Amino acid sequence: MARVSKAKGGGDVGFNMTPMIDIIFNLVIFFMLISQFQQLEIEDVVLPEAERAKVMDYSEYRNIVINIIKGKTSSLDAVVKVMGQEYDVHKPYIRPDGAKTMGGELTAYLVDAASKGDKANLNVILRADADVPYDDVACVMLAAGAAGIERWWITTKIPESEQK
Amino acid sequence: MRSTSRKRENVKLQPPMTPMIDCIFQLLIFFMLMPSFQSHEGYLTTNLPRDQGPNPTTQTNMERLKIELLDEGNEGEGVSIVLNDTQSLGDNFEGLRAALEGYRAQGLQPTHPILISPTMAVRHKFVVRAFDAAVTARFTSIHFAVPR
Repeated sequence: MARVSKAKGGGDVGFNMTPMIDIIFNLVIFFMLISQFQQLEIEDVVLPEAERAKVMDYSEYRNIVINIIKGKTSSLDAVVKVMGQEYDVHKPYIRPDGAKTMGGELTAYLVDAASKGDKANLNVILRADADVPYDDVACVMLAAGAAGIERWWITTKIPESEQK
Repeated sequence: MRSTSRKRENVKLQPPMTPMIDCIFQLLIFFMLMPSFQSHEGYLTTNLPRDQGPNPTTQTNMERLKIELLDEGNEGEGVSIVLNDTQSLGDNFEGLRAALEGYRAQGLQPTHPILISPTMAVRHKFVVRAFDAAVTARFTSIHFAVPR
């Protein structure tokens, strides 16, 4: 009996740190991945390459990421997606003064976004597939222009030769 | 009794492998995922015209350098470049860059406006390459023609 009580009482009491570190690592990796994809609502597109593209800090702006995804059967069937929602940019948009412009519901979305805060701080980040026709890009440009957004960033892939 | 104490000593000498393997796995996963966080994406930036509505602001037409991109082949697989309505460059974007650098060498200011005017079927990658060529030639005022 004496031996048993000694063994029980004599052991070091302490936290087991290993599982705690395990879980912390897992959580860090999980939240880094989630934030990476949630931050900009990006879609999987093959970006065009540009040697002069710069890595820039977009955090100071109110960003709207507009994805233009290549069609499944033809490059002409491109899909415009913002925050996971599809927009038909080839439909006309009727402005409050009755005039028509392009961009359809996307123009309405951008006009609404512009009215909700500092318009000058709005930044459109275009993520268009390399093979989509200019037609779709131009419609998105018109929609952004009609909403009074001036800042326009085109996302490109930096070629391996230019990566540091 | 002697043999028991020897056995105990032997057991104590082995380091605990399970937490070590745990941590090594964690580090392995972490360093495998790290490269995906390093961004290989960049941005080409420009400004849209102030008003693209039905009453667009009239722009001063101060002899803009015009880069026309004409679609070629099936669904715009190819492209043909025409610089300033006169100089046909085929699909040679290096030639376009050299021509634009030539204009700069002749004394054209970096702020001199450049208008990229693609046809509707031209693929986005060609538009970006023309933009990239203009940026490489250190032009800063680059605009896009859009249909009205």
